[in-house]
Amino acid sequence: MRLSILAFGQVAEITGSAFSFDHVSDTDALKLSLEKAFPALQYVRYTMAVDKTTITANTFLKENAVVALLPPFSGG
Amino acid sequence: MHKPKDIFIEGAIPPAMIADSIAKHQTKTEIGAHSIFLGQVRKDVINEQQVAAIEYTTYKDMALEKMHEIREEIFAKYPLTCMHIYHSLGIVNAGEICLFVFTSSAHRKEAIDACEEVVNRIKAELPVWGKEIFENESYQWKQNK
Repeated sequence: MRLSILAFGQVAEITGSAFSFDHVSDTDALKLSLEKAFPALQYVRYTMAVDKTTITANTFLKENAVVALLPPFSGG
Repeated sequence: MHKPKDIFIEGAIPPAMIADSIAKHQTKTEIGAHSIFLGQVRKDVINEQQVAAIEYTTYKDMALEKMHEIREEIFAKYPLTCMHIYHSLGIVNAGEICLFVFTSSAHRKEAIDACEEVVNRIKAELPVWGKEIFENESYQWKQNK
């Protein structure tokens, strides 16, 4: 199974804005894999949202989850 | 859940749209006070470069769900008659309007307090990103203070 990843702002400049990625069990594992695939990610600030909900702790990833990589918001 | 209301418009918010929006409230005669916040793109000078425009992007599905949640909470907290919110996407030039928040109530305190809280929550909680584009076409990612 694959995860759908969406990236925005400064993070999208590193990873591209939408791609699929090998499924991993949780968001901590995903962060490690992403930072291995895109080393520049280690140097930018971002949080994750799983299926449109911002997470604050390690979160289990269901099959087909959509994970968004969100740099600090700067609307308005 | 029904589809949340879209708040995004492409490009700058035209001043005429703001005037029309005010005029539409003349029929709602229970209103005694309107509070309006307008965000305008500031020509900041950073490292001797002037900001020419901000380009806004969003994670729209998430932003609209979050905005819906904020709207429900604000209506639960303040006795508002109505509330309208518009945020720009894409390029907005310095001097143009990029955010329009409009709250109305019977008395001014509720409209003013609700307007302030909505603006703060939009800036802190909506997945929207601004890229400040300088006059020499270089850019930096905006940071909210």
